[in-house]
Amino acid sequence: MLHELSRRQFLKAAGAGLGGSAVAALGFGGAEEALAQAVRPFKLARTTETRNTCPYCSVACGVILYSLGDKSKNAHPAIIHIEGDPDHPTNRGTLCPKGSALLDFVHSETRTKVPQYRGPGQREFKQISWGEALDRIARLMKDDRDKNFVATNQDGVTVNRWLTTGFLAASATTNETAFLTYKVVRSTGILAFDNQARV
Amino acid sequence: MSDDPGFPALEDVGIAERDKPPFVRLPKPETLFGLRAMRFAALAPGHQLEAYLLFLSEVAKAQDALARALPAPALPPLAEMRRRAGHAMPILPREELAGEPSAMAALVELPALLAAVVMPEQARAALGRIAQASDEHRQAMLAAVLADAVPVEAFAEHIFAAAALQVAAARRAALLDPLLPQPVADGVCPCCGGPPVSSAVVGDANIEGVRYVQCSLCATQWNHVRVKCVSCGSTKGIAYQEIEGVADTIKAETCDECRTYVKILYQRKDMELESVADDVASLGLDLLVTEAGWRRAGVNPFLLGY
Repeated sequence: MLHELSRRQFLKAAGAGLGGSAVAALGFGGAEEALAQAVRPFKLARTTETRNTCPYCSVACGVILYSLGDKSKNAHPAIIHIEGDPDHPTNRGTLCPKGSALLDFVHSETRTKVPQYRGPGQREFKQISWGEALDRIARLMKDDRDKNFVATNQDGVTVNRWLTTGFLAASATTNETAFLTYKVVRSTGILAFDNQARV
Repeated sequence: MSDDPGFPALEDVGIAERDKPPFVRLPKPETLFGLRAMRFAALAPGHQLEAYLLFLSEVAKAQDALARALPAPALPPLAEMRRRAGHAMPILPREELAGEPSAMAALVELPALLAAVVMPEQARAALGRIAQASDEHRQAMLAAVLADAVPVEAFAEHIFAAAALQVAAARRAALLDPLLPQPVADGVCPCCGGPPVSSAVVGDANIEGVRYVQCSLCATQWNHVRVKCVSCGSTKGIAYQEIEGVADTIKAETCDECRTYVKILYQRKDMELESVADDVASLGLDLLVTEAGWRRAGVNPFLLGY
């Protein structure tokens, strides 16, 4: 922690008014007043810089997201720039061409933001709720597992494997998320399991 | 391992030729003040603080002359400096400068170097008081600046004392081995223990985008992780305030945990930005940010009182 209360603020609080600054003490008080007048019509603009992990691959490069807008006001927050995190030991500020294009990924018009379903023979995707999507996935997984689960191999040894379904999870996860994903997926017997897109 | 033909040693390929950024970048007093003088002069035309910036350009020119003329400062023994670094203490504690002959010499010579400069009566009178002061009085001025205890009724002469100390401190820090300084604490210079003036996201090759905080006294720059408060080390509640519609190359990094801010200069967008000169020239940002409720944590003798 540095200075708790500057001398000037102390003087202001004590009712001494302007004048307690280096600028005034050296005889440039007029210029200081002119500056104070000049900035009066201006407002502050607030941006934030937030650390995150690139979602593309398991290298997990650090990125900094620059966003505009104050959450406490009506202003719509928007991400205005993304760059490699120079403090991140993995990539030290560098990004591959995919990572460099992250801003367009965020703002892409075709970005998938909601669950969608395109039934057999249908031309268009239609939006469905998360409840519907998860129910349908669970139903299909259960049916497939019941039909194709392999409890023992030809020699009668217990193997408990399920080879007809695979699982692809995200790369930008925490250790805890990765642990839970692993436990859930492996407990069903799924062997084809990856934590990144690898493309 | 390399002896075993089955296991060839792996080559270190590095990350895009980028090295780990050095923890400190020591000042180069032979160019530091000259470049600062040029920057003050370049910022002045049309600025509300034009007269002040031109005056500070002359002060920096005098500092540049002092940096060339002063006798070489002495460093403590290497074993002593190593012990301080090993205990996370500043290697050249600024208190030592009060008894440093080159600091006193700088203060003695400063009034003569500024004799030909046009300046307001207050500044001229302060230089006169320094020229006529006894050695004990000058010593007391240096000590007051180093202790952050400048008396409000004598701001002017202490600003010149701080300018003299900047020269002596930078020349002293420049002699260090750059691998010696170790992190001391957030907001504390690893070389002299002084407070920061401002920080900068540098644009230099190989370390582009890395942030360095500059010491207000010895001008040593130390690496400080970005999006992290320079004063208290918090990574929560950090935001960047800029004057709307004006250049976005200088922002105030505000911290909602300790309610202070230190300016951050985006040198990768504008390589001309200078830690002290641009801090003074962006005083308008200070006025708006302090009005919005944050306290200034950056220390700059030319903005003493803010």
